[in-house]
Amino acid sequence: MSVQILLLIGLVLFSVAAVLLKDLIKAAICLAAASLVLGILFFRMGAPYAGAFEISVVAGLITVLFMLTIALTKTGGDVAESKLARVAFPLFFILFLAVDVIVTKNLVQKIVALPAAPEAGAFGEVLWKQRTLDLVGQVCIIFAGVLAVLALFRKRSKDNDD
Amino acid sequence: MVFLFVAVPLVVAGVLPLLGKLSKRVLPDILSNLTFLFLLVYAATAGRQIIAGGPVSQQILWFGEPVQILLGLDGLALFMLMAIALVSLCAGIFSIDYMEHYGAKANYYALFLIMVAGMNGLVLAKDLFQVYLFLEVAAVASYALVAYGLGYEELEAAFKYLLLSVVASAFVLIGVTVLFGLTGSLGFEAVGRGLQELPAGPMAALCAALFVAGFGLKAALIPFHAWLPDAHPSAPAPISAMLSGLLIKVSGIYALTRIFFSVFGLTSLLSNLLMGLGVISAVVAALLALGQKDIKRMLAYSSISQVGYIVLGIGLGTPLGILGGLFHLFNHALAKGLLFLTSGSVQMATGTRNLDEMGGLAKRMPWTAATNLVGSLSIAGVPPLGGFWSKLVIIMALVQAGRWPYAVIAVLASVLTLWYYLLIQRKAFFGKIEERWKDIREAPFWMTAATVILALLCIGVGIFFAAVLKSWVQPAADVLAQGVTAVIPRGR
Repeated sequence: MSVQILLLIGLVLFSVAAVLLKDLIKAAICLAAASLVLGILFFRMGAPYAGAFEISVVAGLITVLFMLTIALTKTGGDVAESKLARVAFPLFFILFLAVDVIVTKNLVQKIVALPAAPEAGAFGEVLWKQRTLDLVGQVCIIFAGVLAVLALFRKRSKDNDD
Repeated sequence: MVFLFVAVPLVVAGVLPLLGKLSKRVLPDILSNLTFLFLLVYAATAGRQIIAGGPVSQQILWFGEPVQILLGLDGLALFMLMAIALVSLCAGIFSIDYMEHYGAKANYYALFLIMVAGMNGLVLAKDLFQVYLFLEVAAVASYALVAYGLGYEELEAAFKYLLLSVVASAFVLIGVTVLFGLTGSLGFEAVGRGLQELPAGPMAALCAALFVAGFGLKAALIPFHAWLPDAHPSAPAPISAMLSGLLIKVSGIYALTRIFFSVFGLTSLLSNLLMGLGVISAVVAALLALGQKDIKRMLAYSSISQVGYIVLGIGLGTPLGILGGLFHLFNHALAKGLLFLTSGSVQMATGTRNLDEMGGLAKRMPWTAATNLVGSLSIAGVPPLGGFWSKLVIIMALVQAGRWPYAVIAVLASVLTLWYYLLIQRKAFFGKIEERWKDIREAPFWMTAATVILALLCIGVGIFFAAVLKSWVQPAADVLAQGVTAVIPRGR
């Protein structure tokens, strides 16, 4: 249990660091670390598939994409952030933690715990046969994203041709 | 095949970017408008037969294996499908001429079709996670479409829209997650049953609050409206028509109504909350619209105001109120689609959206002026157009339920609506024509055709309102009213 709590604290700290750090590379690494911790938590709580996806996609793939993007963009276009954000974020964060603790404490006992379903084995069955429409929807979202990128960058490529 | 409503636009959207390499204009125009036409005809002809024996859920064979694609078609879903198909067909026809100067038409239509597929999927969804998923499908396509002009203003508006919309989706997703944790299921009926059995009062209230905030943001009800007056005017005119006419209603009002009526049950607290939000939106947005100089911005504020009316009617929860709310949703989709399209014609001809710079355009653009007048009068609630009847039903329902203050405010907001629509007429179309607009011409054929179709529909729905109400709106309202009686005992 104590390992669990340590991991949770690590998750929160890394996430906060990802928001607050000004250096984008460091922020991306913190995000990857946070997601790695979350992945481990998933494994420990008996959800191996969720853990594997979390680590491979969020900690791995997305971090690589972030790094590539940061490496490809030129420096010098920094936008000055308003000072307000640095004050407002910690305040908001503390407020959120307080509300979170109160709400969860009052509500957790009232939820009837579900029997933990063994995830392994049935996973493919569930994903492909029972939640097929979800897969269709996810394909749609990715497709829409690709088309959006094509649409938004169309003029730039034309300018380059000229 | 209920799945066709989602699959056909998706497949066409997949083919379009490839076909766009062969033919930049003609093929995408024809193919996408044929798709919209197919959806309309299919909804109008096959839809009625499919649901003749009650609501349908469908299981599909996928490469010989039965897979679980559960889609539910009932009166309400069919009504929404019809509205989506009608307005998207007109917006598609309008795009033939209007999108010429934007370029990359195939790509534009592909995004447009994905947005339609997302909305259709949301309307047909049978479980909470699918609602969230198709909400995102439609939203992702709409971000790109708002930014389609690629100007500074468009990109800024799209970014603002993206950020607020992501917050909305996050609220919805958290709500869905908590409900799943509570009940162990995602289907509407199963979650509804689970909530009745569990002693989960505060948790259910938390989820309800999350859904009100999330879908309220999507529908742009008043405290959540900040993104809409930027996003809707910045999009290309046919997309403004789609967003204001349909998207805020499908991803905001429809999803909210469906979940509250068939999962939570409409408690009196919730009913009062929705009516409060509705009446504030109707009045405040109407006042804000009065001060606008940009014609599309004024229309955008008007959308918030009219969404307020719809929520007021549906939130009342009596059968007559639901009927009026849904009928107004339909009328507003037609009329606001029409108004945004005509504003696009005006913008294309004059190059400006500023009402103060226009004047006397009716002499040069008679069709646009006439159709705009029809749309304005319909939304403002002037008989015998569609908007008059739906507002009348809402106000009658309020009076019948003994909610006099709401009824009086609704009538007053309607007067405000007439006021700012007459402002548009006076400033843009009537009066003396300015020297520099002497040479402008009427909008091209397809643009005019689309507006004329919508204007005729506004008039037709007004004249044959009894038939429309009976054959399309009543079955939809019945679905919701049954939901109320079926689930409400817990709330009383």
